[in-house]
Amino acid sequence: MKGLAVVALVMFAASAHAQVPPSPPDFTGVWAPYRGGRGADPKLAAPPASPIVLKPEYAQAFDAKRKAEADAAAKGEPIASGAVACVPYGMPRMMSVALYPIEILPTKNQITIVTEAFSEVRRIYMNVPQQPMGDVPPGYYGRSVGRWEGDTLVVDTIGVKTTVPSYQNMPHSDRMRITERVRLVATDYLHDQITIDDPVVLEKPVTYTLAYRRMPGYEMVEFVCDNNREYIDEKGGTHLRVRDR
Amino acid sequence: MRALYHGRAILRGMTAVFVLLLGVLHHSFAMFDTAKQVTLVGTVTVFEWTNPHAYIELDVPDETGAVKHWTIELGSPSILQQGGWKFKDLKYGDKVTAVVNPLKSGQTGALLMRVTLPDGRVLGNGPGASGRQ
Repeated sequence: MKGLAVVALVMFAASAHAQVPPSPPDFTGVWAPYRGGRGADPKLAAPPASPIVLKPEYAQAFDAKRKAEADAAAKGEPIASGAVACVPYGMPRMMSVALYPIEILPTKNQITIVTEAFSEVRRIYMNVPQQPMGDVPPGYYGRSVGRWEGDTLVVDTIGVKTTVPSYQNMPHSDRMRITERVRLVATDYLHDQITIDDPVVLEKPVTYTLAYRRMPGYEMVEFVCDNNREYIDEKGGTHLRVRDR
Repeated sequence: MRALYHGRAILRGMTAVFVLLLGVLHHSFAMFDTAKQVTLVGTVTVFEWTNPHAYIELDVPDETGAVKHWTIELGSPSILQQGGWKFKDLKYGDKVTAVVNPLKSGQTGALLMRVTLPDGRVLGNGPGASGRQ
């Protein structure tokens, strides 16, 4: 009889446990890019990206642009990116700028991400429907909505304007959709698997992953672009203003 | 004090590490000749701890005593901080030795590789680019 009571108690505890929805993992804090290569743990580093396969009409222009960039760089007058003029990156490139960390700030109905480079801000609205494609005013960050699938934060972003360069500077249309699956792969290691789909420009979706490690206690450095000494000439080349004293 | 021009073979390994680092910085550094290293010994006239880049302005006398002025570009405060820099590590009047990649244009502008501070510390241009590695 006593044994039966114990079994019943265990079963009750198990069912009670099953009814409590699992709380999502806590991503709060500052995260630095975790790059692969020498010394990196391959289990924590990002897996390889899938190739970019553009539709032929876009591939030709993209290849020509890349060649022009390489030629200009060899001459010492690199073709300027927006960053030279202190224009922020926007989505999705803001999620990985050199060694700069990002800060993830979950609140009740929203997850806010602030980047250190250029102090960019994106807001992910939780558990609300996405708007129809074409209804979001085109911008650098578009509109992001998120939901939890178990321990994975799934974020849907549309409405990034076509003048904002996409992953690897590839072109994109106003039909671009960015899907992110963000999860902890180990304590203090986060992966953001990003899939870019664009039926106008891409033959097939591109998927790549960004890896981050937590930076406990790190205080984000401000980034106000008020001393930009690089400038862009009429041909788009980058130069440095040199002072004489 | 004078500017010393080094050959390409010197510190090739370190250059490779540095070029790798440049590959992940926020824009192209192709303005600078990363295959060429120049050592500048001079006096700081201005140190700007600013975004998107910090700058060292340096007066560099040659053998005759004539002063050439150099503008040296660094990473951003965030990247420099990750490499051990502090905003007050340099000030007006400091005597330093800077190893730089000069502009391809021939102007007296450059990208910092590493600098020896008056107290003997050597700082690079961000994590992984330190002259001590």
